[in-house]
Amino acid sequence: MPLHVNLYHEIEQQEIARQRDPLRLGMLAVLIIAIGFAVNYFIVLERAHIVGIHYADAQTAWSAIEPKAKAAKTRQDQLNTAIQASDAVMKAIDSRFDWAPILQEILKTTPRSVQLTHVSADVPEDEKAITSSITICGISGAVEPRKQAESVRTELDARLASRFEHVSSVFKELEDSDQFVLLDGRRLATATFTIEYQIQLRDPIAAATPPPRRARKESAE
Amino acid sequence: MKFDQSQLKKIGIAAVVLVALLYGYFAFLLDPLEQGERNASSGIASIGPQISDANTQIAATAELEKKAPDATNFLTNLKNTIPDGEPIAWFPPKMAAFFKSRGIEKCTTRLVSETADVMPGFRKFVWSVDVPKVEYVPLGTAISTLENDEPLLNIISLSLDATREDAQYQHAVLVLSTLVKS
Repeated sequence: MPLHVNLYHEIEQQEIARQRDPLRLGMLAVLIIAIGFAVNYFIVLERAHIVGIHYADAQTAWSAIEPKAKAAKTRQDQLNTAIQASDAVMKAIDSRFDWAPILQEILKTTPRSVQLTHVSADVPEDEKAITSSITICGISGAVEPRKQAESVRTELDARLASRFEHVSSVFKELEDSDQFVLLDGRRLATATFTIEYQIQLRDPIAAATPPPRRARKESAE
Repeated sequence: MKFDQSQLKKIGIAAVVLVALLYGYFAFLLDPLEQGERNASSGIASIGPQISDANTQIAATAELEKKAPDATNFLTNLKNTIPDGEPIAWFPPKMAAFFKSRGIEKCTTRLVSETADVMPGFRKFVWSVDVPKVEYVPLGTAISTLENDEPLLNIISLSLDATREDAQYQHAVLVLSTLVKS
C-alpha cells in the first residue's frame, strides 16, 4: 500500500476551520435573519402604504364632504325652525275659538218673547286654559216668565252641548219683575235673568293637544 | 465541541451584532412603520363613521328640503298677507273698512297691548274694537267672515249690550289679538 502524504492537510484544515468559524457562521445566520427581516419589512411597508393610501383617500373624501355636511346641518336647522314656526302658527289658527257659531246658537235659542240685554263671553288666551264662560242677561216675557227663562237656559245648554263635550249652565239671577210687556196684544209678566255657561274647550288631561278642527265658513245667519 | 478563546470572542461579537440588528430593526424600522399603519387604520376607523354620518345628514337634509315647501309655503303665504309697517297705522283702518263693507258704519279700534309672541318672527297685538251701534245678525255675519278670512286674528272676548235708545241695536266690544311680522 503506497504511503499517501497529504501535503495540503494544513491548508485543508485551515479551510475547514474557516468554514467552521463561529463568527462566519454567526454572520451567515445574522445575514439570513436580516434577509428575513428585510422581506418582512417590505411586506409591512407595502401594507402600511396601502393603508396610508386608504387613509389619504378617506381624508380627501372627508375634507370634501365635511363642508357640505356642515352646510346641510345649518340648512336642516333653518328648515326645522321654519317648519316648527309654521306648525305653531297652524296650531294657533286651528285652536282658535270660533264665535260666530255661538252667536248663531244664541240667536236660534232666543224666542220673540225674550229680549237679551247683555251677552258677554271670553276665551282665555292661555293654551292650558280649558274653560270658556258665556254670560247672557235678558228679560223674558210670558205667562210664566221664569219657565220661559229656564226654557232658554236648557235649550241653549243643549245646543252648546252638541258642539262641546262638557257644558254647564247656571242661573246667576232670576227675578220676577214688576213690569209688563205687550206681545201680540197680550199683556205678559216679565222676569230678568242672568245665565252663565261654562264650556270645556279641551280635555283637562290633554290640555296641550289642540281641539279637533271645527267646520269653517259657518255664518251666524 | 469546544471553543477556544478566539472563537468565543467571535461568537460574542456575532451575538452583539445580532442583538444590535434586532434592536435596530424593531426600534428604527418596523415599529415606526407599524405605528404609522396603526395611526392610519385608526384614522380610517374614525373618519369612516364621520363620512357615513355626513352622507346621512346630507340625505336627510335633501329629504327635508323636498318636504319643507309644503310645510313652509303656508306660513310664507300667510306672512305675505300681513301689511308692512306699524300695525297701529294699518290695523284700525282695516277694521273700519271691513265693518263698513259689512254695512256697519262706525267702529273704533284701539291698541290694548303688544307682546313678542312665542312664535319666532311674530309679534302679538291685542286690540279693542268698539262698535257702538250694530244689529245682532250683521254683527254675527261680520264676525264669521272675520274669523274665516283672517286666520291670524283671534277674538279673545266679546260683549254685546242692548242700546238704551233702540233695543234693536247692540253696542258691541270685541277684544281680539292679531299676529304681525316682527
